[in-house]
Amino acid sequence: MTDLLTIEGLSVRFSGLTALDDVSFTLEEGAVRAVIGPNGAGKSTLFNAISGYVTPTSGTVHLYGRELTRLTPHAIAEQGVRRTFQNGGLFPALTVLENVLTGLHAQTEGSFLDILLGRSKALKSEAENIHRARELLKLMSMDHMADTRAGDLSGGQQRIVEIVRTVASDPPVLLLDEPAVGLSPVARAQMMDIIHRLAGEKGVGILLIEHAVELVMAAADRILVMAAGARIAEGTPEEIREDRAVLEAYLGHS
Amino acid sequence: MSTIMPSARQRSLRIWAFWAVPALLLLLPLATNAYTQFIVNGMLISVLVTLGFTLVIGNLGQLAFANTAFFGIGAYASAMLTAKFGLPWIVTIPLAGALGALGGFLASAAALRGIRSYYLAIITLAFGELMRWAYLHTKPLTGGTDGLPLPREVVFGISLSDDTLKFYIFLGVTVVLVKATLNLMRSRFGRSVMAVRENEVATASLAIPTARVILVTFIWSGFVVGCAGALFARHVGHVFPESFGMLHLIASFAMVLVGGLGSVLGAVLGAVLLTALPEYLRAFPGMEELFFGLIVAAVLVAMPMGLASLLRRLSPIFVERYYREES
Ligand SMILES: Nc1ncnc2c1ncn2[C@@H]1O[C@H](COP(=O)(O)OP(=O)(O)OP(=O)(O)O)[C@@H](O)[C@H]1O
Ligand SMILES: [Mg+2]
Repeated sequence: MTDLLTIEGLSVRFSGLTALDDVSFTLEEGAVRAVIGPNGAGKSTLFNAISGYVTPTSGTVHLYGRELTRLTPHAIAEQGVRRTFQNGGLFPALTVLENVLTGLHAQTEGSFLDILLGRSKALKSEAENIHRARELLKLMSMDHMADTRAGDLSGGQQRIVEIVRTVASDPPVLLLDEPAVGLSPVARAQMMDIIHRLAGEKGVGILLIEHAVELVMAAADRILVMAAGARIAEGTPEEIREDRAVLEAYLGHS
Repeated sequence: MSTIMPSARQRSLRIWAFWAVPALLLLLPLATNAYTQFIVNGMLISVLVTLGFTLVIGNLGQLAFANTAFFGIGAYASAMLTAKFGLPWIVTIPLAGALGALGGFLASAAALRGIRSYYLAIITLAFGELMRWAYLHTKPLTGGTDGLPLPREVVFGISLSDDTLKFYIFLGVTVVLVKATLNLMRSRFGRSVMAVRENEVATASLAIPTARVILVTFIWSGFVVGCAGALFARHVGHVFPESFGMLHLIASFAMVLVGGLGSVLGAVLGAVLLTALPEYLRAFPGMEELFFGLIVAAVLVAMPMGLASLLRRLSPIFVERYYREES
């Protein structure tokens, strides 16, 4: 399988605290790699370092062999690494459709002047994207909510719309920071199904932060276990289940 | 809560409603006298001032109060270019807009350097006061406290002191700028502006260059308000520093809020209502300011989202959308 994302020796220090300590791995096309670890282990920091929100103290990030390290967040997103946020990143005052359209920003044609003058080039591209956004919402059975304010959706619906928005531009790599948190068991299963379909049908490489161990074991091809910024184990779900270091540091004895 | 999807019929209704207003206004000079025509001309200027203001504080969500500075820059630019450099006034409108845009660029530089919230408010207020100080202390250029009169001009054989002629020119400029602003807001640009307001961090994760969105919003706001300044210079015929102080800023802020923060429709409604209101209050000499304040407060208590929210409730055609399906 093709390697999409290559992380080498990535470290992040915040004035004294080592939040991420020399982490390396690769993410392949169509793979779901889970990142687990206790609170404060550095999982979100790993995502922030990959997506440009914090500057790594050392290490590199490559996508298809192109270096992304130290690019701005919007440039990294444009290169094809898209993410969601642990606390939810929807725009509450915009409608569901408008939220999904923001995910297609870079796919919309027409210069500022084209937009200002209402030229058909800009309008045509806009119409195509509206069509695409509606189709994507339909796939997730959210099309009837297209004109609802995102802030009026339930927590689970917001998580789903955020995923739709994040994948709208067909990114090769997706970083999902606890997408199932706060969801009902049914919605969680639905979320995991979405993740599977993205990886299986579209070949998206997915990094998934998730606290619920049963979900991770079922959803991931490989698991990266972190504690205090460092990787303490890495392997298939079966290997991780048997790993002593993991049992002691994270899963507890059971 | 799900709102009704705008049908094709509603969309065409919305287009009709938009163009019907300026079309009907073409007939307005038949119904006005010299005095009311002057007031109406002032309304058109206020519409543009309020529009530029609401874009930055309402849509972009930045607490920047340099709006009156952009207005003064536009007005003085227009007055100086006509009085000192002999340019025809009409030509100075886009030039005043360009200088207003430059003011917007400077204000955005502060925001982009990380000066936000109350700090941005205070630095932009200082910018406005600095401009007023500059008008007062560059007497050879601006006339200082005496102000700067615009020379008489004749276009199409009609004197530019004629309020009906000015009305048609002002109306043209206003319609073009309101329409262009609507085009912007109902596009990926308008969505990005709203997105930055709602969650700047998440916006960047969508490949949206947030710094550029902030920069361009300020520049466009400065351009619109700068153009309004040029109209104002010809409207009053003589620009004075006092026109561009705190009173003007507070009045514009009230127009933004009464109309509805971050709403193009609201900018129009707020500007029209609050320009007309003082004229009706002349019937109560000595009580004008009191009544004005009470009415503004009453509107805001009854409708915190402004007059635009009232119309939205009446018909979905007034709901502001940040995309555009018709072509
Ligand atoms: N911007 C920052 N400045 C300073 N310290 C930070 C910053 N971001 C994260 N940290 C610290 O880095 C450590 C790792 O935080 P991180 O958010 O990566 O943990 P996490 O594994 O995602 O935890 P959780 O499961 O609770 O989300 C924490 O101690 C946190 O306080
Ligand atoms: Mg986290």
